[in-house]
Amino acid sequence: MAQCTLKPDMEFVRELQAAGGETLKKCYQCATCSVACPISPANNPYPRKEMVWASWGLKDKLRTDIDLWLCHNCGNCADLCPRGARPADLMGAARNMVYKELTEPAVVGKWMSSPKGLPVLFAIPAVLWLVIWWIRAGFNGGQWFPRAADGRIVFGQIFYGDYTIDPIFMITFFGACFILYKGVRKLFGMFKPEGKLLVIGKTKPWYMHLYDVIVEEIITHKKFSECGADKSDRKIGHMAVFYSFVILAIVTAIVAGGHWVGKVIPWLKVETPMPLTYPIKVLANVGALALLYGLGSLTLRRRKLNPKYQASSFYDWYLLGIIWAVALSGVLSQVFRLMDAVKPAFCVYYLHLVFVWMLFAYLPWSKLGHFVYRTAALVYVRMYGRS
Amino acid sequence: MSNSILVVGGGFSGLTAAIEAAELGYDVYIVEKTPFLGGRVAQLNKYFPKLCPPSCGLEIQFQRIRKNPRIKFFTQAEVVGLTGQKGDYTVKVRISPRYTAPQNVDFGLLASTLEGEVCSEFEFGLGKRKALYRSMPFAFPGRYVLDPAALSKTDAVRLAGNQFINLNEQPRTIELGVGAIVVATGWKPYDVTNLTNLGAGSVKNCITNMQMERLASPCGPTGGHIVRPADGRAPKRVAFVQCAGSRDQNHLNFCSYICCMASLKQSLYVAEQYPDAEITIFYIDLRTPGRYMNVLEKVKASPNVRFIKGKVADVQDDPATGNPVLTVEDAVRGEKLTLAYDLVVLATGMQPTLSGETLPLPVSVDEDGFICGGEEAGIFAAGCARMPLDVMRSAQSGTAAALKAVQTVKGR
Repeated sequence: MAQCTLKPDMEFVRELQAAGGETLKKCYQCATCSVACPISPANNPYPRKEMVWASWGLKDKLRTDIDLWLCHNCGNCADLCPRGARPADLMGAARNMVYKELTEPAVVGKWMSSPKGLPVLFAIPAVLWLVIWWIRAGFNGGQWFPRAADGRIVFGQIFYGDYTIDPIFMITFFGACFILYKGVRKLFGMFKPEGKLLVIGKTKPWYMHLYDVIVEEIITHKKFSECGADKSDRKIGHMAVFYSFVILAIVTAIVAGGHWVGKVIPWLKVETPMPLTYPIKVLANVGALALLYGLGSLTLRRRKLNPKYQASSFYDWYLLGIIWAVALSGVLSQVFRLMDAVKPAFCVYYLHLVFVWMLFAYLPWSKLGHFVYRTAALVYVRMYGRS
Repeated sequence: MSNSILVVGGGFSGLTAAIEAAELGYDVYIVEKTPFLGGRVAQLNKYFPKLCPPSCGLEIQFQRIRKNPRIKFFTQAEVVGLTGQKGDYTVKVRISPRYTAPQNVDFGLLASTLEGEVCSEFEFGLGKRKALYRSMPFAFPGRYVLDPAALSKTDAVRLAGNQFINLNEQPRTIELGVGAIVVATGWKPYDVTNLTNLGAGSVKNCITNMQMERLASPCGPTGGHIVRPADGRAPKRVAFVQCAGSRDQNHLNFCSYICCMASLKQSLYVAEQYPDAEITIFYIDLRTPGRYMNVLEKVKASPNVRFIKGKVADVQDDPATGNPVLTVEDAVRGEKLTLAYDLVVLATGMQPTLSGETLPLPVSVDEDGFICGGEEAGIFAAGCARMPLDVMRSAQSGTAAALKAVQTVKGR
């Protein structure tokens, strides 16, 4: 057997422990976890190998490990782990490290890794939207809490779509897309095995594989069921959040599209605020309710976790927290608007914008990045013939 | 004030403690819960370090007890109460009825004609026993024991008139005055029904290491033939699953010290009977303390024994063949294996008898059930009640406890 010298990277081990893998050193490599995992393949099982890489601080091994992304974090391995080493948490922690390091600029990843970064992360959009509020208040004759001519509360008077919300969010959205695109390119580069791979037989282009992943895995949440029937509350909660995001994305697209297209083709125009019975508004509120339900069940599940087997890291709570903040501030700004409470309505709407911006702008470094990176990894394994 | 010593438990460490103290000139009482002395060692086929049959070491101990008038022992007896203090204890012992006459009447013929049969706890469910029985041929005391619950109606009628059997015998309680106490309550095999991922004891032809000892023992249920319990077939492929419920926070949180050696020993049993058998030992780490390393070398030299690093985490029954199917990751090659065997042995660990039970003695146990402390009260733990040990070290700890007990009662 060839010999090689390993250099343990203790700094990396400590970072992993801080990112949710605090118990990884308890592992004694019995390999129970790899058998307990219902979806790890026979020829390349996980998470036992990830546990030993982690305790030796083998950063490159973990970063280039595609199996991190195949793990759906059900915790079966942790339930059977004889040492309480919590392999499921390690897989999550390693993913968190990838979010942190893969995406540029890396300083955001650092802020995102602990509660200490929260003030900066909050301050950036808070200042941004405050400046906009201040400027627009000037346009409204110095009124910070204006009413429309007919006395209604119209958020657009301050946070005017055409010049404020839309351009800022478009830049944010496409910026995040670009950062994610770069991240995925980098991720694919890291996954690429050394040497040349010969594929015999027909191959499909990547977008066909993407289609398969979306249809076979994401829409159905199939892997969640394969992760063990007793975890079905997790599947339903995740599905509720996932589909509410899809619904709210559609609503946003229709509203934005209706607004901009409406400038050219007037009969396609969508006016905001929409009446409560308007189909798009109904859809939006259905999405909001699904989001609250899903968030509630996922939060409850995390609170009920037995720390002997699984725990929650800052990354987990940040994501749940920011979505809660978006959902609650969104719902509340509508409620205050309908209650005609002008000051709370604007304040809460301002916070809503801050939180939405945080959710999207920091997406590539947050746990939410998994929806892109995991999808990319799932596409990659299919391209290379693994399932 | 008393200078007698009480030994709770008649296994190897308890017997050793009792004999050592008695041979130093002190009166000793042994209180044993089961009907016979010898404890877990009596259930083994062979034991370390010399791989003797248990008759070898136990016979000597039984002889020494028989010849020494200072040792009195009570079987089917349990300590139910304790008063007094160090140097002057009064111990209440409850003795269950044996129902047979004190003379060593040979009930062998009568027993074999009885109808009623129950699962033998001595054989770990692999064999049956009659209502009148001895656990094994050299059982000590040699006096038969009657289990009325196992009698059929006809059996009961037949035994009713027997002058050497008294079905009306009642339990009685006696009081003993002692100055010191040795607690040698020993261990029990960890309950496999807790091991849900290893079949929880319901997979055919998947046995425990203690069951393997009974299969291999010449006085066991198969006369020493290692065969599959479900169909009596000779196994060709045998697997040993190490750390079955040991070093596991969900089961026994400690290493039992003896299971690796037990499996190595048992692989020799199999290889001796079936030189062609393929044997696989699945392990996390092999623990072969001190000179036991030689045994590992010996087993490793055998061409038919394979070692795979990886803990078996799943055992299923294949109903078509009756073969247990194991799933394990070979941690060296990084491959998940699913393998079928004719016979699978779970190397379960030792759980202290006191785990989940309480003795009416002022001793404290740790979270696993091992005795810690009590010495200030003149109560000394010996053998596997203190920590997992092999037979040799159990005997040593028995001697140590005897010496401490003697020092406590000396001159009183």
